[in-house]
Amino acid sequence: MEKKDIIQSVKDSLFTGIIALALFGPIVGLRTASKGEGLFITPQWGLVFILVGLCILGRFLINLNSARKTEFTFFSKFTSKLSSVTEEKAKHLAITAILFAVVFPFLPFTDRYFMDVAIMILTYIMLGWGLNIVVGLAGLLDLGYVAFYAVGAYSYALIATTFGWSFWICLPLAGIFAAFFGILLGFPVLRLRGDYLAIVTLGFGEIIRIVLINWYEVTNGPDGITGIPRPSFFGLPFKRSPDEGEASFHTFFNLEYSTMHRIIFLYYLILVLALITNYFTLKIRKLPVGRAWEALREDEIACKSLGVNPTNTKLTAFAIGAMFGGFAGSFFATRQAFISPESFTFIESAIIVAIVVLGGMGSQTGVVLASIFLIGITEMFRDLEQFRMIAFGGAMVLIMVFKPKGILANRKPTILMHGDKK
Amino acid sequence: MEYFIQQLVNGITLGSIYGLIAIGYTMVYGIIGMINFAHGDIFMIGAFVALISFIIFGLTGVALPVILLLVLLIAMLFTACYGWTVEKLAYKPLRGSFRLAPLISALGMSIVLQNYVQVAQGARVKPMQPLISGGLEFFKNSEFVVTVSYLQIFIVVLTVILMGIFTYLITKTDLGRAQRACEQDRTMTALLGINVDRTISITFIIGSSLASVAGMMFVLYYGVIDFYIGFLAGIKAFTAAVLGGIGSLPGAMLGGLLIGLIETFWGGYVSLEYKDVAAFSVLIVVLIFFPTGFLGKPDIEKV
Amino acid sequence: MSNLLSVENLTMQFGGLTAIDNLSFDAKNNEITSIIGPNGAGKTTVFNCLTGFYKPTNGQMFLHKDEGKISLRKYTDFKIAHVAKVARTFQNIRLFPAMSVLENLLVAQHNELMVASGYSLFGLLNLKSYRDKEQLAVDKARYWLDIIGLTNRADDNAGDLPYGDQRKLEIVRAMCIEPKLLCLDEPAAGLNPKESAELNKLLKFIKTEKKTGILLIEHDMSVVMGISDHVVVLNYGKKIFEGTADQTKTSKEVIEAYLGVDE
Ligand SMILES: Nc1ncnc2c1ncn2[C@@H]1O[C@H](COP(=O)(O)OP(=O)(O)OP(=O)(O)O)[C@@H](O)[C@H]1O
Ligand SMILES: [Mg+2]
Repeated sequence: MEKKDIIQSVKDSLFTGIIALALFGPIVGLRTASKGEGLFITPQWGLVFILVGLCILGRFLINLNSARKTEFTFFSKFTSKLSSVTEEKAKHLAITAILFAVVFPFLPFTDRYFMDVAIMILTYIMLGWGLNIVVGLAGLLDLGYVAFYAVGAYSYALIATTFGWSFWICLPLAGIFAAFFGILLGFPVLRLRGDYLAIVTLGFGEIIRIVLINWYEVTNGPDGITGIPRPSFFGLPFKRSPDEGEASFHTFFNLEYSTMHRIIFLYYLILVLALITNYFTLKIRKLPVGRAWEALREDEIACKSLGVNPTNTKLTAFAIGAMFGGFAGSFFATRQAFISPESFTFIESAIIVAIVVLGGMGSQTGVVLASIFLIGITEMFRDLEQFRMIAFGGAMVLIMVFKPKGILANRKPTILMHGDKK
Repeated sequence: MEYFIQQLVNGITLGSIYGLIAIGYTMVYGIIGMINFAHGDIFMIGAFVALISFIIFGLTGVALPVILLLVLLIAMLFTACYGWTVEKLAYKPLRGSFRLAPLISALGMSIVLQNYVQVAQGARVKPMQPLISGGLEFFKNSEFVVTVSYLQIFIVVLTVILMGIFTYLITKTDLGRAQRACEQDRTMTALLGINVDRTISITFIIGSSLASVAGMMFVLYYGVIDFYIGFLAGIKAFTAAVLGGIGSLPGAMLGGLLIGLIETFWGGYVSLEYKDVAAFSVLIVVLIFFPTGFLGKPDIEKV
Repeated sequence: MSNLLSVENLTMQFGGLTAIDNLSFDAKNNEITSIIGPNGAGKTTVFNCLTGFYKPTNGQMFLHKDEGKISLRKYTDFKIAHVAKVARTFQNIRLFPAMSVLENLLVAQHNELMVASGYSLFGLLNLKSYRDKEQLAVDKARYWLDIIGLTNRADDNAGDLPYGDQRKLEIVRAMCIEPKLLCLDEPAAGLNPKESAELNKLLKFIKTEKKTGILLIEHDMSVVMGISDHVVVLNYGKKIFEGTADQTKTSKEVIEAYLGVDE
């Protein structure tokens, strides 16, 4: 590197420092805190100087690096390796992953915490797979997916608490309700341009949430719905002391009572639901309607010129995506036994969209990787509640900047004329 | 009748705030064709900078007009830095990338900004004592006294002044011409020797400064802020931009006024709980039946 | 030869601009009718009206089918291709670039395949009736790929093909909907002389073997003069001449429109 370059990058880093000072100075440096009547300022200049210093240093290092033209090699190597696996190998990998998921609850290190995180990740994988139909395949940016999740959860909760029907009846009903809402929303808005659609779906998600908060008679408002029936194992409840004359899971199988039974059951339940979603998506992608979704994503005008009905095609994508969101919502309701509007905020939609886009639009494996990665990150920052959301948002920006097509961007044709050559 | 006039006054005040934010959406959309999702949070940061400066200057005992002017300038300056940085970090590298990428990146940026302020400033709501009090009262001998506070007058007058300056900037200066050229055809503009990057940066700077003024007004008007105010205000301002015709500056102002009025009247006459639903419903209805808004250009897709 | 398409008094205005001005012409079955004219004459706009992308300000467009004549105005966008069977290509190629060549051709057979798949139900159940229909669709795609010599690239992304092949692919993709009328917007643009000659052959094949009427917009005069049966010349949205290729070559109006007149 030449001397001129060094001077240049020092200057540049100092400039970065000035900007950083302007950014962090007031917001970080002058913390407002209420004391008695009014607000007071607590200065935290030390923190500001650390942050500014980090920015200068970071910028300087980046400058050095870019002068040497090194790239983000590790990341791209990893992903390109993943993208280049053959059909054969991909199958093996998938089977291994599923096997791992099946034995996971019985691995020696698996404890309650791991199970909870695993269930959470699987829920997001399922939601991601559901939304992947809408965003990844059909290319419709839906920022209100959480609305269908909410509709599923609430319809499950209401049906189950009102009629006392079993999980397996309520689940499809909740899915149908969610799909119905999908059609209701989709019908007027699917004509809209991509980014308008995004905002309208976001608005729809908020409307649903506000209605849930304010419609006391039905939803019980912000207090939410409690006492949602827990799932049972084919009629056998997971209770410590079953009612008179009733068998429960541990008495029936002659086991010691453990709360883990229910957790493990829930784990398998969401695993099965997620795998069904995946199987369905993989299948439908190869059907005419699936190809039409992808064609619409590529070029809507060309689709019209070939006689593809864009509205109907998008509507099916929307409805099917909503249905899976509804299923996931039912699962959420039965797992928590309690739901309230707080669980269905915009940030949930953002997380699910992030999973799909970061995974690589349309890639089913990508959704799995992105879910593990994003939820993993937020779990690592678990004790620092707000830092984890900063990390999360930052990851979204970074991945878009370095890999705008997502982690796994390759796409395999849905049908081959000459067979798999590799 | 008196109640109606009162709502009208409140609506216009609120509309001014939305209008100022909406300009940022409209300008950015016009020039790079993306919805700057983080713009609402830029507004929120503007509100925080204003709040902090108010506290600091409040201790010095300087005369009120001087404080207002200083806070205005400080808020604009610091918030503009945020707008500029956000563009550089999250949008610029994505120019020419596939169409959803900038939107996702903006979404990420919005999450970062919100939580960053939450960490730095705490999650609690921040109350502030009213600075400008008093007002004019009308219809004193009727049942309902209509009050037009000095604060409301200040907000509306300031908005009008800023709009004037701003319209001049866009229609009469080289900068405005460069901006409009970029809207038409960025490649061609670059070929003609105009610094497109700089023009885009300036657009973000202007948009953010106006949003920060809105933020300052918000602090003064409501007296409380938190890190979350940007989300709703942002969506409503975006609705305003669309309603007026996205890409059109007078449209943004008009849309802001309309949204402000709709929201206040809905809250005043129909139901306060559902006043946000009103804004979102308007957004949906407008986009479906009126996608080009009132003052927008018709948008026939060329094939 | 009988009429296939009649355009009557077609007018299209964009605000104050009249892109097509009271245009009438006919196109006959099994013929290639060319529309030529300087840039901005309104040629693409005619296509956009015919294929339902724009709604004309005025005028009628009729397609004569065996069952009788139908008015194209009645159909909007996708129905033009689906019901009226008018197919088109675009001046700027519009393939599905991230999808394979074969998939491009299958999307063109979407409507039949949807029915065959029982609106996805039979497809999800993997019934034989659907698999057979899908095989037929693949066979049709192979037939057209053989003709344009792209069979070995069937599984590659359409976006990865060379420009000339993309043009040809777009044409055969349009043919996969089995159109009565095929509208081609500057298919020879950007082709080298060899590719242009191949294009001529392809169009003649479509005309004679497939009995499909062709409406052709083209600037490349070697293509126009080589294969057109009938030529319509537009300038500023108005028809200034109509006749055979040979007549067009010698027409004074046409030469003036292209070269300008000295005042
Ligand atoms: N959607 C539209 N909105 C406004 N004006 C339009 C629109 N579409 C076409 N025009 C105008 O109509 C006129 C004719 O355009 P058209 O694209 O039909 O020309 P063309 O004959 O196809 O030219 P070229 O040979 O360059 O393709 C032009 O002046 C064009 O600007
Ligand atoms: Mg044209």
